Amino acid sequence: MDLTPTAEQEAIQASIRSFLESELPMSRVRAIAEGAPQELEAPWRRAGELGFFGLAVPSQHGGTGYSVIEEMLLFEELGRALAPGPWLGTVLAAHALAKAKGDREAARRADVQAGRSRVALIDVEEGASGSEAKDDRFTLRDLVVADAARAELLLVLHGDAVRLVETSAAGVGISSGQVFDATRPVARVSLEAVPAERLPASAHALRRIGTALSCAEAVGASARLVELSVAYASVREQFGRPIGSFQAVKHRCADMSVRAEAARAATIYATLSLRDESDDRDFQLSVAKVLAADAFVQNAADNVQNHGGMGYTWECDAHFFVKRARSFEAILGSSRRHLDAIAARLRGA
Amino acid sequence: MDIRFTPAEERFRAEARAWIEANKPTDLPDSRDLAVRRDFDVAWQRKLHDAGWAGISWPKEYGGRGATLIEQLIWFEEFARADAPEPATLFVGLNHGGPTLIACGTDEQKAEHLPRILRGDTVWCQGFSEPNAGSDLAGLQTRAVFDGDDLVVTGQKIWTSFANIAEWQELLVRTDPEAPKHKGITWVICPMDAKGIEIRPIRTMSGHDEFCEVFYDEVRIPRRNVVGRINDGWRVAMSTLSFERGTAFLAHQVRLCRMVEDLASLARVTPLATGAALDDVEIARRIARLRAEVEALRSMTYRSVSKTARTGVPSAEASIIRLFFSELQQRVAALATEILGVDLLDLDPAGSRGRSDADPVRGEWAWRFLAAFSSTIAAGSKDIQRNIIGERVLGLPR
Repeated sequence: MDLTPTAEQEAIQASIRSFLESELPMSRVRAIAEGAPQELEAPWRRAGELGFFGLAVPSQHGGTGYSVIEEMLLFEELGRALAPGPWLGTVLAAHALAKAKGDREAARRADVQAGRSRVALIDVEEGASGSEAKDDRFTLRDLVVADAARAELLLVLHGDAVRLVETSAAGVGISSGQVFDATRPVARVSLEAVPAERLPASAHALRRIGTALSCAEAVGASARLVELSVAYASVREQFGRPIGSFQAVKHRCADMSVRAEAARAATIYATLSLRDESDDRDFQLSVAKVLAADAFVQNAADNVQNHGGMGYTWECDAHFFVKRARSFEAILGSSRRHLDAIAARLRGA
Repeated sequence: MDIRFTPAEERFRAEARAWIEANKPTDLPDSRDLAVRRDFDVAWQRKLHDAGWAGISWPKEYGGRGATLIEQLIWFEEFARADAPEPATLFVGLNHGGPTLIACGTDEQKAEHLPRILRGDTVWCQGFSEPNAGSDLAGLQTRAVFDGDDLVVTGQKIWTSFANIAEWQELLVRTDPEAPKHKGITWVICPMDAKGIEIRPIRTMSGHDEFCEVFYDEVRIPRRNVVGRINDGWRVAMSTLSFERGTAFLAHQVRLCRMVEDLASLARVTPLATGAALDDVEIARRIARLRAEVEALRSMTYRSVSKTARTGVPSAEASIIRLFFSELQQRVAALATEILGVDLLDLDPAGSRGRSDADPVRGEWAWRFLAAFSSTIAAGSKDIQRNIIGERVLGLPR
């Protein structure tokens, strides 16, 4: 039992961090959010060249041949950087395409792994009203989907089925307007009997991976929020002292770090449970989601408070985290849904 | 990264589990009489000792098990999972006094005390806190002056558990009142039968005498009882406290996990107007959140043990775990009191109204709820823990 990263994993994480610090610094994230989406194109292509989208894909299928653990480290860094872009959909598509056979699938796989195709993730419960799968065609009415407006592909999880839709296909309607979280803009997606090729993959398995990786993203952001608050509280002075010397602020920062650490430990444990296919992996993933959502939402709020009046401004980065925390809470099952799953387990159901 | 234990560790777990299951005493006395409790603990500790399980974290050369950190984790998990009773009256000797002597004591001190502590022959108590030195422990004022071969101690200690049945006390005294406060303290072994010691029990909010005040009126302690260097007692004491926050703490977390399971059992059998409390969406979600948090606590502990095993030094995050644990324990106990409602108020007989096989600890919640108040005060209050996290983990200015 060892929940600390190996030297190799530390090196991987450090290299991802230095890549994101130079290619996607907060100034560029802000530019993308403020209306220059093309700013993401170069870093995205570069990430594809570095193999970031296929970390867990076996090397015989063009991937890097690591596991979901290394992907977890990637997403922790993406969260820390508050990186925009459809990372989760693209990485999950790489998973879904890993075992696909045929020339067309191989070409798709190569495009996704190289970052030439960006993939938005759609998660639909089986039997959800307005959704219908028929003869490799898929219909879906008016769903809010993150990053759909700038994606070439849609990865549709429907029950346990996994489908891939081209956004350029006839019958695909994507409309976007003003959004709450500009670092992860949503669009409204409607599909009218569009061609949707079924992939040989399990949507349940992809949801598990997606939950682990999005929790890792929330963990990275939560830890980054502790750093931002501590940095500001160490230099901002009032009453002739740094405000971080006051217990009211210091103790709030301490609570932030407790939440971040609890979320990180739960997420690491859950991701290892997933890798090892432990019997309790779904429970562990629910635990991680509850703790990660709590850490992200609360730390983002506390970070605004720690920055005082500046924290309320557009100029301060604090609000981007507040908004992204809500994006996280809303995808792949809310905390409430995961709490209900844990409660069902307690009832012995 | 790996959550699996090695085959050798799994064998150790199987061995520990089998032994504890076969040997744990089930006749825990239902008495608050400390002499009775002591007899029970001594018998249990002797059994552990004779089977080679005493002093799980103590080095082999001092008669301990010399277990690795991971084995200690496994041992305490199994101990708590089996609900084996803690030898509570022996806690200070086994987890503070003994380890401090191992780290800082003379050969004579080790030879005299360590085997007796390990066998459960002697009870130790702690003499650290004072009425005016709680969170600010280094501000302690109990004076000791050298007179020939003796230290002469005058002052007062407080919150001392088991003072009235202990043979020995780990005592912090001020030997240099002129020096800066951390530099004038000495750690000394005090015989509790010495002339001039007076012990008065303190009644807690639960109505029980849990600990004592200890008064010292020119108490003479031989100079050879000083542990470490004179005026270096702060450093010696800090090593003691790091043991307290070390692996012995692991069992508390497993017990807290059981407490959440008890909470679910309570909610399962407690009727509300609409059905069982556990079928109420709000209550079920609140219990589920506590279940998630106690699971995260375990993962945090595993991570902390992993780090310590790798680096060899106690993880700086111990205060994070301690704070998370103590507040969680209070939330668990408080939710139980809400679910019990009016049944909480009736402690007679033993508060067990409605107790059943499915809910055997129904009568315990009132005491657990009250006892939980001490969890954010004892061993460093939650406010001090937040200071430690803010200053030592995050590097915020003092």
